[in-house]
Order: sequence, then structure tokens, then C-alpha cells
Amino acid sequence: MSRTRTDATSGMRTDATSGMSTVWHRSRLSRPVPHRARKSGRRGGLPEQVSGWVWLLPVVGYLLAFYAYPLYRNVELSLKDYTVRSFVTGDAPFIGLDNFRDVVADPLFGPALWHTAIFTLVSIAFQYTIGLALAVFFHRNFRLSAVLRALFLVPWLLPLVVSASTWSWMLNSDSGIVNACLEALGLPQVNWLTSPTWSLVAVIVANVWIGIPFNLVILYGGLQNIPQDLDEAAALDGAGGWTTFRHVTFPLLRPVSAVTILLGLVYTLKVFDVIWVMTRGGPGTSSTTLTIWSYRQSFGSLLPRFGPGAAISNILIVVAFAVGLGYVVVQRRQDAA
Amino acid sequence: MFPSRLRRAGVAAVAVVLTGSLAACADSDDGAGGGAAAGGGTYAFWDPYPQFDDSSAWVQLVKSCGTKAGVTVERTGYDTSDLTNKTLLAAQQGSAPDVVVIDNPVISTLASAGVLTTTDELKLDTAAFAPNITAAGVVDGKTYGVPIGANTLALYYNADVLAAAKVDPASVTSWATLNDALAKVTAAGKKGITFSGIGTEEGSFQFLPWFWGAGADLEDVASPAAVSAVDLWTGWLKDGYAPNSVITNTQTTAWQEFETGEYAFVENGTWQLANAEKSGLKYGVIPIPAKDGGTAPAPTGGEFVAATVQEDTSRYAVSGKIVDCLTSPENLMATDTTLSYIAPIDSVQQEQVAKDPKLEPWVAAVGAAKGRTSDNLGTNYPIISEQLWGAFQKALSGSASAQDALTAAQQAAAAKVK
Amino acid sequence: MSRRRNGVRTAAGVVLTAMMLFPVYWMVNVSLTRAPDMRRDPPYLVPLHPTFSGYEAVLHDQLPYLGTSLAIGLGTVALTLAVAAPAAYALALLRPRGSAPVGFVLIIAQMIPGITMAMGFYAIFVSAGIVNTWWGLVIADSTLAVPFAVLILTAFMSGIPRELLAAATVDGAGPWRTFGSIVLPISRNAVVTVSLFAFLWAWSDFIFASTLDSGGTRRPITLGIYKYIGNNNQEWNSIMATAVVASLPAAVLLVVAQRYVAAGVTAGAVKD
Repeated sequence: MSRTRTDATSGMRTDATSGMSTVWHRSRLSRPVPHRARKSGRRGGLPEQVSGWVWLLPVVGYLLAFYAYPLYRNVELSLKDYTVRSFVTGDAPFIGLDNFRDVVADPLFGPALWHTAIFTLVSIAFQYTIGLALAVFFHRNFRLSAVLRALFLVPWLLPLVVSASTWSWMLNSDSGIVNACLEALGLPQVNWLTSPTWSLVAVIVANVWIGIPFNLVILYGGLQNIPQDLDEAAALDGAGGWTTFRHVTFPLLRPVSAVTILLGLVYTLKVFDVIWVMTRGGPGTSSTTLTIWSYRQSFGSLLPRFGPGAAISNILIVVAFAVGLGYVVVQRRQDAA
Repeated sequence: MFPSRLRRAGVAAVAVVLTGSLAACADSDDGAGGGAAAGGGTYAFWDPYPQFDDSSAWVQLVKSCGTKAGVTVERTGYDTSDLTNKTLLAAQQGSAPDVVVIDNPVISTLASAGVLTTTDELKLDTAAFAPNITAAGVVDGKTYGVPIGANTLALYYNADVLAAAKVDPASVTSWATLNDALAKVTAAGKKGITFSGIGTEEGSFQFLPWFWGAGADLEDVASPAAVSAVDLWTGWLKDGYAPNSVITNTQTTAWQEFETGEYAFVENGTWQLANAEKSGLKYGVIPIPAKDGGTAPAPTGGEFVAATVQEDTSRYAVSGKIVDCLTSPENLMATDTTLSYIAPIDSVQQEQVAKDPKLEPWVAAVGAAKGRTSDNLGTNYPIISEQLWGAFQKALSGSASAQDALTAAQQAAAAKVK
Repeated sequence: MSRRRNGVRTAAGVVLTAMMLFPVYWMVNVSLTRAPDMRRDPPYLVPLHPTFSGYEAVLHDQLPYLGTSLAIGLGTVALTLAVAAPAAYALALLRPRGSAPVGFVLIIAQMIPGITMAMGFYAIFVSAGIVNTWWGLVIADSTLAVPFAVLILTAFMSGIPRELLAAATVDGAGPWRTFGSIVLPISRNAVVTVSLFAFLWAWSDFIFASTLDSGGTRRPITLGIYKYIGNNNQEWNSIMATAVVASLPAAVLLVVAQRYVAAGVTAGAVKD
């Protein structure tokens, strides 16, 4: 780990000029108050503290106004027994954790949890690896690399509804291009969206496609920050491409990778449009994740059930919270090492 | 000293001015359609027809009904699947629209939420309206809205495909004869039937004619009659009469499959009539057969016009006038022609058939149709419907047998209904 | 690197990009397909009987929506930067006591599902009377970008060499001056990246637009597709044409901004 430390110091100069910083592990996010001696001389008495907080006021106010209230509302919806009538009039009885108990006891809870886990972990694994491979590929500038890299981001700027619809068209059992290609290759046709075994695979494929650009951008930025001389030094030492990558590049990329994966996890847990448009969580419940189930409860039928819907989304927030906490703990342990 | 920042700010300012002018062009367009402002105030009107903008006949009609009642009507169109929740949210905030046009199975949900007024409060008389259509808006003996029109399902057939397979469409009068026809069509190399079996209300809508046609009842979805209906669908998939895509088809997608000219039958509704004409296919319409012969009762689609509960009850007089104006026989003719609905009033139905004889089978179908929330199912219908579509989805995709899926559905529904 | 290797890489790059963009090509293909051909089995690889009715409809109906989307996108960028940049500065460089948890809270804040946020906003907006306004939507869309922006900018600003900042303090500059004349210009690339993300997320947002602005006179392009979604009917070639037209400005922006960010890699603001 000492290598990382020295590299970070020398890398600081290049950081300042390029897109992304590798100094994540030194960022304030993973550690509270000073761990190591990096006093800038700015941490002073009360006036400096207050002035520091003044800079934070907009974001704190913003957080309270726009995040705290919806969250409070959501928790409230899950702790009370809301019918459509009491939703309108606002006077629902408090029932404590009953909604949560009902949700956990529901036979759909286990499968939904399982589908969410598979969907998230497999999506992240593929998005990250493909994104990394592409970032490495584009790292050496060749002709057209800038244009091609920009084009790679196009999937990302399509509205999700559109991307999901396009994939639905492509994966249609009878008139989809994917099955047409499989047929042309002599392979059996697959019922991508209508078979309980394949529906989850289909939405994972679409989700991976949508997520690759995000990983590509961030990992590419991280790669650009790694000083060239390290690669050259490794080459001089006789290390081949793969070895250099494994022992030099990849460890240096760790902080950026950690953030990419964390953000990816958070965003993937929330994925809704892709699955809803492609399969509606079906057929039956074979591609229902927690988010889909929550939406279905609250908005998916003619009779909204906001209580269970809010309970499920709160469970999801807790799961995401646990993941975030895990990230922080791992980060701290790594820094202490 | 801050060149890049200034430059960025400059570019941003220019962009804002440009977009402001672009957006301003939009404003003037929207303004052109509005009628003369009448003296009495503004009434909000929501409907599920976002495809109609201010220049359309529908919006003109809405606004003119407002002017006739002496007020200005502000109309907004929303996607039908959003409208229920938007209305609920708005009612919660005390800003519900005065008049709302809402899909008929949702009336009972909104009524039980206390969001709608009764026709008695609005001083409206619904006696002239066909009772089987109005029944969807009746909860505990009180009527909560006035139907604006109804549509329902029937079987469109491709005359050429049937002729090539030597099938006479008039012979399709029961499930047995339908299956025969499908067998002949597939033997002749074409595809049999397509429909929408998606896991949403649309799927239930398409399933109900077969469900009711087998003699089943929504109070017990695990009955042998119900199982036979699901078996009919799964049988078609197994025998290759229906494509696998029915599991995710919407009614539009099913129609597009039919439009390729490869299918003999499609189960679809009145709203496709215009598309059927445009498609260039030689088509015909037969009613959906019941299991043992006769016409199966199909569910009614179509919206109701209703007024919402407002704090200021003096608004009801005007809201009532607007509702009355929209559903008056004179206006119904124009509206239902635009929306491709069958009128809910007998006299207007005769007018429609006189004008377009092709509507005759549809008028008959609507006459035999049933509201989904009728039989006082009310808010229990959505609960049962959700279980029902879950069940046939499982059966169609092969993850459970029809009996098992329906039994599970019945248990779940019974546990949740009130 | 030899020229040949360069050429091979370019070719490989083109193939990879083509594979990645195939669904986008398919979207264009569908936008040009006639109604009867929509569900053809097997589908046409190239629109053999193209119809431009979708694009005609779009050009006729959708221009105002594009203008509104542009305004919302730019507004979101401005608001996001206004909130995130000072916060990042404080978290990275000023670091007042007790400020570290703010970063953690920002990560958690992103975990709240969009629907939950939308319903909460609806209540707030109705009370404040700003439902169905395009600039109310700017506030809502900024919540998509602010946490991410703060994270990126903080990480970036943490990497600014202390010597620069120390030099500024010695010269007598207070935190404001340092922020404006040193930190922001150096962070230019991170700011561009953040602006890009904020713009794109606001541009393609649907859930907030649908909940908070679907009744307004100025609506973004994501709601414009509803012109082609009726009660029982969807005009798919028009819907896909809308998607294609909506993607074009964003694609152009992307190519332009990419060059901007890439330029920063070779330029050097700090000499060794």
C-alpha cells in the first residue's frame, strides 16, 4: 500500500489538471476529522469554522428540503394503514410495523429479494468489467478514439423508457432481431421476455448495456490520471501488458473503482423503467425486483396500496444504506492498513 | 481574469435567451386555441386523452361546454394509467380538478376514496343511459358519474386468410368451432389468433370475455369454468395457434401483429376500426364466442365523466352543467365518433349505425357487455383482477398449471377483498 | 505505437462502437417503419419501405418541447453547480468540524427511489404553488445531480495542491477569493463533467416531469411522446422518431464536451 501513498503525492500534480482525481482515498468522504497530519493551516478557530459551514448551508438546506421531506413522507406512509380514502383525507391509523410484517411474510418477498440481488450483482459485474476493458482499450489514444468514446455514451443519454422499449422490440420472440439472428445461426429461439427463466436475463442484458457508458467515463478518467511513467517503469522492468495491469494499474485504480461500484450499486438497486417497460416484472413474478414490487403495490393496479409499497421501498433504502455503510467500513479499514 | 467563467456564463445566457424564445413560440401556439374567456371563473378539467391538443375537436367541445355554463375551462390531458393517482394526489392536496374523465373500473376506487360526487348531488338524470354501461359507476346504490361512451372487444378476422383456409367466419360460434378454424388456418400455413395476455389490467380485460364466456364468475376464480378458460389460452400456445408474444403483448402490439396479414384473428376493440380501414386488409368482425355457443359477455371499456368533491359546494352547479353538456345526445354523437366509442344512449346508437353500418356488430357487442366493477364488486375488482392476471401469466409461461395458479389466485384474492 | 497497430485499434474500436450502438440503429430503423411492418417476422434489417410520417409528426409537434427541455437542462446545470460547488469546496478544503457526515448523507440521499421523491415533491410543490412550472421541474431535476456533483467535485478539489492554496492565503486572499480565482478554474474539467451529467439526467428525466409538470404549458420532450400514446393506441414510429430527435442535441453536446474534457488532460495548469 505504500506505493499508493507515494504515487498519490506525485500524482497530485497531474490530478489537478485532468478530469478525475485518484485521491479518493484521501477524500473527506471516508474519514471524519484529521487522521494524518495534513493541516492546511486553515482549520482554525470559530470564525473559520462558521465561515466553512456557511459554504455548506446551500447543500444542507437543499438536503433538508428536498430529501428529508420525501423520506419522512415515505416512512409515514409505511407506518400507517392507508386506504385510498385516508390517503386523500390524511387521517390514517398508526399501525406500527404491520405493513413491514405483511411484506416480509408475503410469499413474493423471498423471490423479489433474490431477483434484486441477482439483478444488481450480475449487472454491476458485467458493467464494471466491460467498462474497464473499454477504458483500457481507449486509454491508448488512436485515431478516432475521442469520437468513438463520445459515441459510446449515446446509450446513456437516451431516455430509459426509449432504451427499454428498443430492447423490448429487439428481444421479441417472433419479430425481434435477436431471435432472427439466432435462427440464422441455426440456434434455437429463446423467449427472452416471455419465459420465466429468461426474463431476468433479458432485463440484465438491457441494464448492462445502459450502464456501460457510466463506468467507461469514470474509469477512463481514473486511468488518465495514472502517471505514464509508472507504466514505462514497469515495462522497463520487463513486465508484460497483463502483469502491468494487474500489479500497477489496477491497484491504483482501486479508489476510483470503489466509487464506481458503489454508485453503480446504488443506481442499480433503484432501476425501475427498464424492467417495467420490458417485462412489467413478469411473466408472473419472474423478474420482479423490490423496486418493481413496490411500484406495483402503489401504482400498478387500479387500487393503490401505498402502505405496503412504501414499506418495500423503505426496506430497499435500508439495504442500500447497509451497502453504503459497508463501503465506508471497507474504505476505513483499507486506509488504516 | 476569469475568462473561462465569463465565457461560460455568456454562452449560458445566450442559450437561455434562445430557448426562452423557442418556448415562447410554444406559448403563443397554445394560446391560439382558447375560446373567449367567460365571466364566471376557471374550472379545471382532466381527461385521459393526451393525444388531443388544443386544436382538436374534443378540446374545443370541452371549452365550449364551459363557455355555455358561463365559465372558462382549463383542460389537461394525462396518460390514462397516471390519471387515477394524479387525481388522488391532487385530492389529497385539496387541488382536485372540478371535472374528471376517468376509466370506468376506476370509478369505484375514486368513489370509495371520497373524491367523487354523486349524480344526485349534481342534479343529473342518468335514466336514458344504458344500464349495463352505467352499472360500472354504481357503488352501494349511488351513481358517481355519467358514461361518455363504451367500447368493447370482439374478434377481427382477416377474410383472405380465412378464405385460403376454407373457413367460414359465420361458423365460428363456440370454442369448439373456433378451435377448428384455428387448426385449419395453421394447417394452411398462416397463424391463428393473437391477443394481449400481459400482466396488467389490459390482460385481464382481454381475458374476461373467455372467462365469462365459460360461465365463470369473478367471485370464484378457481372454478372449473375458470380453469377451462385458462386452458383455452394455454392450449392455443401449446398447439401453436397463438404466438408466444401474447404474454407481453399490449392490445396495440397484438393489433400490429394482425396488421402484418399473417394472422386469422385478433381480439381487439372498437378503437382499431380506423386502423383496420387504413390497413388495407380485408377484415370483418364477429362477436367473441361463448364456450357453448352464443356471444360471450365482454367487459366494457370507456370512460365516465365525473365531478370531484370540492370544498366550495356551489361549484357543483356549474360542474353538473359541464358534465351534462358533454354527455348530451347532440354532443355524444360527435364525441363518440372521435373516440371510436359506442354511445351509451339508445337513440344516439341508432344514429351511429345509420351513419356507419360497420358499427352494427359493435353496438350488439356493447349491448351484451358487462362492467368489470358491476355486480357490486367495486373496489374488490382490482384485487381480483391482479390475481387473475398473475394466474394466467403463470399458466401461459408454463410455471404453473391452470388449476394451481387459479387456486392460489383465489386464495390470495379472498384474503385481501373486503 | 506503430501505424499498423494504430489502424488495427481504430478498426477494433469502430466494430465495438457499432456493436454497442446497434440498439440505437434499431431505434432509428423502427422510427422509419410502416405500421403493417412493425411486427414482421423476421424483421427488416434495413427499413425497406421507409415512412417519414413519424418524423413529420415530430417536427410538427415537438419543437416547443425541445426548447423547454433545453431550458430545464441548462437551469438544472446552473442550480446544481450553485449548490454543489461551494459544498464541495467546504468538504474538500475548508473542512469545518463535523462536516464529514455530510458526504455520507449525500450518498444515502441518492438511494431514495425516484417515485418516493416525486410524491414528496408533489406535496411540497402544490403547497408552494409551483406545480406545472418548468422551473419547478429544474429544482426537482437538480436532485438527480447534486449528490453526484458534490461527490465528484469534492474528490477533485481534494487533489488541488496545497501549495497553490497556501500561496493564495499568503497573498491575503480569503476563502471567497481563493474559490473564485483558483479553485474553480482549476476544477474546470470536473465542473464540465458534472455539468454534462446534470444536463443529460435532466434532459432524459421522466418520472419528475410526469408527476410535476404534465399539466403545464411548457413540458419537456420526455412528455412529448404522450402525443402519440392514446388511450388504447401507440404510434410507435412517431414515438421512436421523437426519441431519435430528442437524442440528437444531446449527442452533439456530448461530442463537443468530450473534447473539452480531453483537452485538460494534456494542458497543464501547474508547472513542475
